[in-house]
Amino acid sequence: MAKKTKEFVKRKHDTGVSRREFMGTTAKAVAAGSMAASFPFIAKAADPLRTIGLGVSVINEIQGQAAADLGYGVTGQALGYGAYFGKALNQNDQYDVCEGYFNDFDVFLPAKIFQPLDTHRISEWDKVSSLSKTGKLTPDSKEGDGDAPFRLLWCDADGNLIDGPSRYITALPMFHNADSLGYDRDALGRDVTSWAEMLGSDVQGRVGLTNTPQVGVMDVAMATEAAGLMSFGDKGDMTRAEIDQLINYLIERKKEGHFRSFWETFGQSVNLMVSGEVLIESMWSPAVTASRAEGINCVYATLDEGYRGWHAGLTISAKVSGAALDRAYEYLNWWLNGWAGAFQGRMGYYHPIPDNAKKYLSAAEWDYWYMGKPAAEALSDPWGNPLVEVGEVRDGGSYETRFSNIAVWNSIMKENDYLVKRWTEFLSA
Amino acid sequence: MSDSAQLQHRGLIGDSGVPPEIEAKAKAIRRDTGFPVGWLIAPSAVWLLLFLVIPLLSIVLFTFWSSEIGKLDTSFTLENYAAFFYNEGFFNSQADRFLSVSVFLKTLWNTFRFTLEVMALCLLVGYPIAYFLALRIQTFKWQMALFLVCMVPFWTSYLIRAVAWIPMLGRRGLLNKLLLNMGIVDQPVDFLLYSEFAYTMALVQLYVVLSVGPIFFSLAKIDKTIIEAARDMGAKTYQIFWEIILPLSLPGVAIGMVFIFVMIMGEFATAVVVYGGKTSTVGTVILNYYAVANYPFAAVNAIMLMLAMMVGVVIILRLIDIRKEL
Repeated sequence: MAKKTKEFVKRKHDTGVSRREFMGTTAKAVAAGSMAASFPFIAKAADPLRTIGLGVSVINEIQGQAAADLGYGVTGQALGYGAYFGKALNQNDQYDVCEGYFNDFDVFLPAKIFQPLDTHRISEWDKVSSLSKTGKLTPDSKEGDGDAPFRLLWCDADGNLIDGPSRYITALPMFHNADSLGYDRDALGRDVTSWAEMLGSDVQGRVGLTNTPQVGVMDVAMATEAAGLMSFGDKGDMTRAEIDQLINYLIERKKEGHFRSFWETFGQSVNLMVSGEVLIESMWSPAVTASRAEGINCVYATLDEGYRGWHAGLTISAKVSGAALDRAYEYLNWWLNGWAGAFQGRMGYYHPIPDNAKKYLSAAEWDYWYMGKPAAEALSDPWGNPLVEVGEVRDGGSYETRFSNIAVWNSIMKENDYLVKRWTEFLSA
Repeated sequence: MSDSAQLQHRGLIGDSGVPPEIEAKAKAIRRDTGFPVGWLIAPSAVWLLLFLVIPLLSIVLFTFWSSEIGKLDTSFTLENYAAFFYNEGFFNSQADRFLSVSVFLKTLWNTFRFTLEVMALCLLVGYPIAYFLALRIQTFKWQMALFLVCMVPFWTSYLIRAVAWIPMLGRRGLLNKLLLNMGIVDQPVDFLLYSEFAYTMALVQLYVVLSVGPIFFSLAKIDKTIIEAARDMGAKTYQIFWEIILPLSLPGVAIGMVFIFVMIMGEFATAVVVYGGKTSTVGTVILNYYAVANYPFAAVNAIMLMLAMMVGVVIILRLIDIRKEL
């Protein structure tokens, strides 16, 4: 199982797995970006629907099923994060649908690369969960700082953000997940229930952190706040002073040798945990699963302060019109019907209409992935490889428990350039 | 290299040049031939123009634009260069950044300095290997066989070679197990991995063959009779090395240096794998800005990296005049 597990696990992650696979495509993207305008794309009736995204959602099986159900071709292009970001932004004539993420919308929306979506054309819009519409999955849920979908969802007919609800939306909310700390329960000898644990002196030199500045800074912000060292107005949009305070503190800790390693890819975070290099690190929940598959008692921490969430949204390029636009809406509606949600559910991701995903999941799968109950039978990943043994319980509890406790959402801050600059200083210190 | 060395070698290695009258004649003949030879380089010229010169110029162009959220502002600005060099609060004695160098400049300098270190180590390790292969192994067959053995690690992917250090140097790695079992330490040692030590070692291992290759070839080219003659004239072993072998192998050393220098300046992946990303190189800075579509600033860093590389290569070629030595 291990090999296959790792394979699928590698394909699923939110942002960053292969952020850096794109060196080779950098030049191409830049050149293409500047030249794109001179090669107008003329859509023909027979053209397949073109969709781009990360390996989380652009998976042969999903687009293949969509093509079979819809009766026309769907070509998906799975990209590394940097390449996806650049293509979405600079070449919106090269795709019809972009399977994007709300945390990128601070950059994408002002660029007007997508068209506002008409909810009247989304057949099951009413059933889409309130998580993305109001920010609250349940009435007493936390809204969370940062780029929560509901802050970037509602727009007018011209695509300008407004306070919702409204007829038009920027993107159709889709798969999402919550990230936390992963730790080696056996080596640490206790349960971790606070972000502050990653700053403790007893884990000195055995701490891992993601090296994506936008994400890493949130994890340490959660930690310093939990430890009572500093506080933030809005962790999703820090001020320069807050960034300075945080980075200065991190530099101090780094000089003490507090951090063992910063990880770049999903696989690296698994390696760090499995090889015993770190005791505790920021981790995506599928990485925790992968570490367990290697025999480490790695636990996905249930943290009092809450998790760091991320949420995907399907968008339609501003360049799409006519028959192609109809097909794009059909594709979006197809996504909502639950087949893809169930497929992704077996990798640990959640669907915006859980009941639709439920239709395609077995009772045991539903109980395990969504309800946080022990697996009644052995469960497989989407490709049929064994993944979960009887009696295992998903870390972090049920869907509702997780998503009513989101402290912060992945974001791009207004001070992003400043953040990256200070982060560079932190790494060099 | 010194004048005396040149004098000693004049004629021996054929650098006395072609007599001018013969050269002129040869040129005249070439011009007269019917087929315009210049066309032969047309395909490569077009290729370079399309895929090197134009992209490069567009990178330069990018540096004068600015990135606003979601789009590029194409009006001319030097702000990106300013941001690269200038630190806010540099002239303000109250600020904590008073007179502190910009982090990007610092990163560039660190990258440069570290590259020189690794390059020097590669030469120190690589030269004896090349020397042994070229001058101590007598038969050509064995020379080639052992040279290929040196190349074996390069038959696998670069990243695999970098990752392979982890089971070797990690907390549960081979080396730590050895130290623990021998009772030298009672806790696994941390500095072996995710440290500057690990980074340096991995880079040397990854790139040393780039110095072994060229040095080996220039050493192998040395006419053995020269060495024999020197010995006959009573030269000591170290004299033979300093006055004959080393000068004659310098072109190989220079080529190796250029290879290694250029490769390590652009390095960013190894730093993540073996140094645990605990340092930043110009490469990682470029990636971080590229990832959020701030192409202008990424471009400035790329241009600065390229300039630093050019400076480095010029210095290397100044130190050793390859053309003269060949």
